[in-house]
Amino acid sequence: MLQAIHIRKQFQRSGEVLRDVSFTLGDGEFLSVIGPSGAGKTTLFRILNGTELCSGGEVLYDGTHFEAARGREKRAVQQGIGTIYQDFCLVENLSAIQNVLNACLPDMSLAASLLGAFGRERSQQAAAILREVGLGDKLEEPVKNLSGGQKQRVAIARSLMRNPSILLADEPVASLDPVTGRQILCLLRDIQRQRGVSILMNSHNLDLSLEFSTHIVGMNRGRVVFDGAPGDVTEAVLRDIYGEAAETV
Amino acid sequence: MKQRRIRCLAAAAFVLLFLGAAWFTGCDLSLMWSRRDHLTDIAAKMFPPDWGFLGKVLPLLWATIQMSITGTFLGAVLSIPAAMACAASLPGPGPVKKAVRLCIQVLRSFPALILALLATFFLGIGSFAGTAAITVYTFAIMTRLTYEDIESAPQGPYLALRAMGAASARAFFRSTLPEILPAYLTNALYLLEGNVRHSAILGYVGAGGIGLLLNEKVSWREYDKVGTILLLLFAVVYLMEHLSTWLTRLVQQERTLGRQGRRLLAGAAAALVLFCTVTLPPPDLSRTSMQMVKMLFTGLLHPNWELFFRLDSSGLAYLLLETVAIALVGTCVGAVFSVPLAFLGSSRFFPAPAAWLFRTLVTAIRSVPFLIYGLIFIRVCGPGSFTGVLTLAVCSVGLLCKRFTEAIDALDFRAYHALEAMGTPKLSCVRHAALPQLVPQFFSAWLYRFDVNIREASALGLAGAGGIGAPLILAMNQYAWHDVSTLALGMIALSWLVDLVSAFCRRRAA
Repeated sequence: MLQAIHIRKQFQRSGEVLRDVSFTLGDGEFLSVIGPSGAGKTTLFRILNGTELCSGGEVLYDGTHFEAARGREKRAVQQGIGTIYQDFCLVENLSAIQNVLNACLPDMSLAASLLGAFGRERSQQAAAILREVGLGDKLEEPVKNLSGGQKQRVAIARSLMRNPSILLADEPVASLDPVTGRQILCLLRDIQRQRGVSILMNSHNLDLSLEFSTHIVGMNRGRVVFDGAPGDVTEAVLRDIYGEAAETV
Repeated sequence: MKQRRIRCLAAAAFVLLFLGAAWFTGCDLSLMWSRRDHLTDIAAKMFPPDWGFLGKVLPLLWATIQMSITGTFLGAVLSIPAAMACAASLPGPGPVKKAVRLCIQVLRSFPALILALLATFFLGIGSFAGTAAITVYTFAIMTRLTYEDIESAPQGPYLALRAMGAASARAFFRSTLPEILPAYLTNALYLLEGNVRHSAILGYVGAGGIGLLLNEKVSWREYDKVGTILLLLFAVVYLMEHLSTWLTRLVQQERTLGRQGRRLLAGAAAALVLFCTVTLPPPDLSRTSMQMVKMLFTGLLHPNWELFFRLDSSGLAYLLLETVAIALVGTCVGAVFSVPLAFLGSSRFFPAPAAWLFRTLVTAIRSVPFLIYGLIFIRVCGPGSFTGVLTLAVCSVGLLCKRFTEAIDALDFRAYHALEAMGTPKLSCVRHAALPQLVPQFFSAWLYRFDVNIREASALGLAGAGGIGAPLILAMNQYAWHDVSTLALGMIALSWLVDLVSAFCRRRAA
């Protein structure tokens, strides 16, 4: 379970971008954070995956304080979180299976990781996960030769390799065409249902978020303005989240 | 799996080749270790430098800068019509294109030093010969780079103007030239940087600049004065490189300058080039005679075939093999040291002050003429191929580091940060997210350096450091033009072969 409690973030130049953000991602939930550009979704995502520090508040992963964790303690929490990015963040020159195997690096000794000695067992596991996400025939293919949808599948396989309890997805379908985007979200929903992984997704796409999520958090100007089920998202709620632009969403 | 096996086999073959070349060049680390004290002998004697000597150094330093500015400008300007004449995408008779390309290939086979030595036979001793050598050297490289840029530039705008009835040259200047101009100016600035370093040693063969004085002070063992010269050279190279980086950013529009600023800059550059060109001392033709020129050409047109087919250690085949081995081992050793230094010099991995310190150290390594390194290593290992390897290795560190750091600075960090967010230690992130992206670029830089080192290895002869250079320079100084012709033919063939191999490797790596 992930709990965000009164999170604040202040940047020196752009001022306060997150103000008192609180919500809970329950076990096995599919939560979408929606909101217009500049609402603070990406900053929130970066705080939740540990690449940014918050100015105030608490982030709890299964009761462990993540916001104050440093070094080994922080890495221990990070190892239970899978992350998927809009731009995939894969090493383009490496093959699909090598990218997936990279997820094992935090568990390996320095010497083994520098030598790239992942071992047969890990390689078999990586191949199995790639088959699970539908890339069984692309194991040795360099990522640079794959399509956008296939790259996102490799990124999902990489995060699954850590056997995470929580999957954070930052705009996972923003770089994809509508059909491929829907396929990726179907895959994420299958993972949530079959593996019981909790998913937190940042999204600009309201329709897909409402269709696939079990929990919606709406943000506007750094504040949470809605926290509830997709069925409770009414036009009034959309106006709160998107303001004047609600009609065009 | 098959691909991985092929890669492993290729790597094993390369290691064997390297070991073979190291054995052939007589690399002996135990000798170097036992005589390690001599490494610092000369360097220690250079400090403190003799500042009283400054007055004598400055005019010659200016002559060096003048040679490089004028030579680069003239070479770059002349390269445009030559590139137009041989670009496959522009109209023109095929045989002319082939002939121009052949000339360029021949000229590219020789380092600036050999061209300068040749120029002194025609134009006499002094800066004019040096400027001519730098011009020809720049011309050959710029022509090659420019015609490749022209061929890869989009053809649409050019063809559209041609379809409207514009003459070929006019259509080129209005469509293709603006397209390739940023790359052209970037290349010219990069060459200007290198030419400052090249000009500094041309004096060794009498082609003007500070090299003459450096040679004299080294011969008289006045190392404190050598120290003064090297410090000033470092300052000039440092300033030139920073100026060139700033101008490159302007050209590539990463930085902007107001209209007035641009005009002022263009005016200052034009005035500088004009001043450098106009104040260039005229050639000294008093010792040039038609008979000598005739003898030179007759000799060059009639190679010494006995030398060509000789199979002992003074034969062409052996000398070329030795040159390749020196260049291969030198470039590899240089690359091994360059990788960690390049990471240390990148502010994306280390704090800015530390990165600046390492970058300055590398600039210092780069600014010292290779002959000084040759001199130091000769005291350690004696004359021969091993000295050539060490000299080329240190020179390669200076130049490869720059290319490697540029690649690291331009690295895409997204995959790196993704691994970091999973809790991966930094060193593993570098190994698995940064290195796979960098290896192709490092390999490309290495290949380019190897290509250049093959040519530069012939200049090492001046330092008594083995390879084809020593017999070539000796033959030139003895006016043994038949031998010069044979050795030059060998160098042209070798350079052409290396070009083919590099192109093949680049295609395979892409």
